[in-house]
Amino acid sequence: MGDGLAGTTIRINLSTGEIKKYPTDSQLMRDWFGGRGAIAKILYDEVPRNADPFGPENLFILTAGVMSGCFIPAGAKVEFGSVSPLTNGHGDSNMGGHLGPALKYAGYDMVIFSGISPKPVYLYIDDDRVELRDAAAYWGMGSLECEPVMKADLGEDFEIATIGPAGENLIRFSCITHDYGRQAGRTGQGAVMGSKKLKAIAVRGSNSLKVHDLANLTKYVTDIIKRTKTHPNMAPWQKYGTAFFIDWSNKNAVLPTRNFQTTFYENIDGINGEQLVEKCLITHKACFGCWMNCGKYTKAILPGRQVVYLEGPEYETGALCGSNLGMTDINQVAYINWLMDNVGIDTMSGGGVVAFAMECFQRGLITEKDLEGHTLNWGSVDDTEHFVKMVVERRGIGDLFAGGTKRAAEVISQGSEKFAMQVKGQEMSGYDGRYAPGMLLAYMTCDIGAHHNRAWTITVDMAEGRETIEGRAKVVVYLQHIRPLFDCWCICRLFWGELDIEPEEIVQSLNYVTGWNIDTAEALKTSEKIWNLVRCHYLERNPANGRTFDYPPARSWEDKIPSGPGEGKGLSFAQIEAMLDDYYACRGWDKNGNPSREVLHDLKLDFAADNLEKIGLLGKPLPEGIPEVRGARYKPKAF
Amino acid sequence: MVIYLKAGGQLRKMLKPDIDYYTRKVEIDGEKTVTDILKTIAIDSAYIAFIYADGKVRDFSFKPSDGQIITLQPPVSGG
Repeated sequence: MGDGLAGTTIRINLSTGEIKKYPTDSQLMRDWFGGRGAIAKILYDEVPRNADPFGPENLFILTAGVMSGCFIPAGAKVEFGSVSPLTNGHGDSNMGGHLGPALKYAGYDMVIFSGISPKPVYLYIDDDRVELRDAAAYWGMGSLECEPVMKADLGEDFEIATIGPAGENLIRFSCITHDYGRQAGRTGQGAVMGSKKLKAIAVRGSNSLKVHDLANLTKYVTDIIKRTKTHPNMAPWQKYGTAFFIDWSNKNAVLPTRNFQTTFYENIDGINGEQLVEKCLITHKACFGCWMNCGKYTKAILPGRQVVYLEGPEYETGALCGSNLGMTDINQVAYINWLMDNVGIDTMSGGGVVAFAMECFQRGLITEKDLEGHTLNWGSVDDTEHFVKMVVERRGIGDLFAGGTKRAAEVISQGSEKFAMQVKGQEMSGYDGRYAPGMLLAYMTCDIGAHHNRAWTITVDMAEGRETIEGRAKVVVYLQHIRPLFDCWCICRLFWGELDIEPEEIVQSLNYVTGWNIDTAEALKTSEKIWNLVRCHYLERNPANGRTFDYPPARSWEDKIPSGPGEGKGLSFAQIEAMLDDYYACRGWDKNGNPSREVLHDLKLDFAADNLEKIGLLGKPLPEGIPEVRGARYKPKAF
Repeated sequence: MVIYLKAGGQLRKMLKPDIDYYTRKVEIDGEKTVTDILKTIAIDSAYIAFIYADGKVRDFSFKPSDGQIITLQPPVSGG
């Protein structure tokens, strides 16, 4: 019997070139659920609190968790983690494709890099053979260009993840790219790779994995497979992916438009999913073990430019590089998607940064003089391309934006902080929260900076009342526990979360893989433990009351939505304060947003409580004891 | 005439399926748009991202024919 693990972890000191293999710590995987949880614990334990995210003491970790590569639908994820150069807190990000399973088939659960290589290298794994190899020939290549070249050199059956010039130049929102267009985009993991002079990871694996109970896993999962094949939403998913939801966001007043100035885009018909299918789609694309094939392989054709090939744009890129930049044609959006993928920046933060710069230009805070004689107008691909290259090459004012919107706004000032649409340094996802208060709270409190993946509440906001905040904190807390579990177990949330597969079924599948024999309540509580540890880590690295970091930019309460179906709608600052109060109360944190000892003790995080106490940031005692909702399964009234 | 509405996720609960786990049979008088049909069964179309019928995305003004199967696609909970 096995437990889904490959059995070996690799530690690589890039400064010395030393490579060590040792048995995977199965207790760590069990206690922290592998994936994001194991990364959180290792970063907390091993990275000094004053370590520079770009310094040798920061770690860069990749892991395929316990379920990736097993006989599990969409068990395709690989998770990356390090202290984020964008947020200066715990950072993690994941992607699908085939790298995670390949890593485990090669025999490895996790690779932990420390140090900084004296020259560009890539990690070469071919089953037992693990080497650091010279990457001089690849350094400087675009991500999308580098992968096929490396495959030609090494073999088509190698799974390869690369960074682009952005990562090499330490652009703080750089991503990692794999499988010709899958990205681990968030929290600047590509920049950490770049700081370590690690250009790429190439893996070929030919071993097998053992699970705890193959017979029951096979039967159980086969039933799930049969069910999902007949699920009514499967066919639309397969055909259209996520890009088709941009119209819905527009109709429902959440679509970020021109840097979140409004939530309704008048040119939606030029950039929506129908346009993508009609003008750009070449074929459908799936990750390992998935038949949802939500990926769309496409081309972008623009006059005067070479035809480019890419995966996407999916919803987030469509929103943040489409309406948010004022683009009017899907080929423009696809081209910008390709541009950002190839230079290696996250299209979400990248879209946010370009949009912020465009609004600065609109308001005269930056000028053509700052832009080497160029403009930076809404809807201009030329302007966008020029500006992105300035950022990636750190030319002139581009260097200022290489740190993301928060850092740029701190220097530009003149009121620009108000429309730097980020929280904790990370740019918001493709939903405006002014008329979806739960969504705004989700951004505010997300453990890695503004990101939709931890909690998405818009239909709950619609059902519970979009102008009220009551009940939203409980929903956000629940979602922040359930959704990150996918990132622990390294399975895809889209497949497991969108097709009526219940949390209990996912946990049962996990038990057949691992033999852990846990229930959903334990899963949620462990997820809560991880959430609190990440919070403690953030406070220890950024020593101020947690509440300080949880505010959105002032546009979120100062500006009502000016147009479209949400016209005149918006939240007050008092509502934002009240949501934070509710949220902290649900979590058992004090009004300053600092975790209390009672809660940390209940989660077996006494060591973290001690550390917070030493720096004066342990939450005040809870006079009414540990709150009830915290960690429990919770469903809003409306559903 | 009769049409069959299908939905998953939160929409499935709103739809109240009666034929199978995902499907509800709806009887209507004459040709009606999907918008009108949804009104008759008290489903708010704001919860539907798009309509899917015969392998294609359809507008809410689409008028199903007798016996047609219409899938109601909810928004993705974070793209």
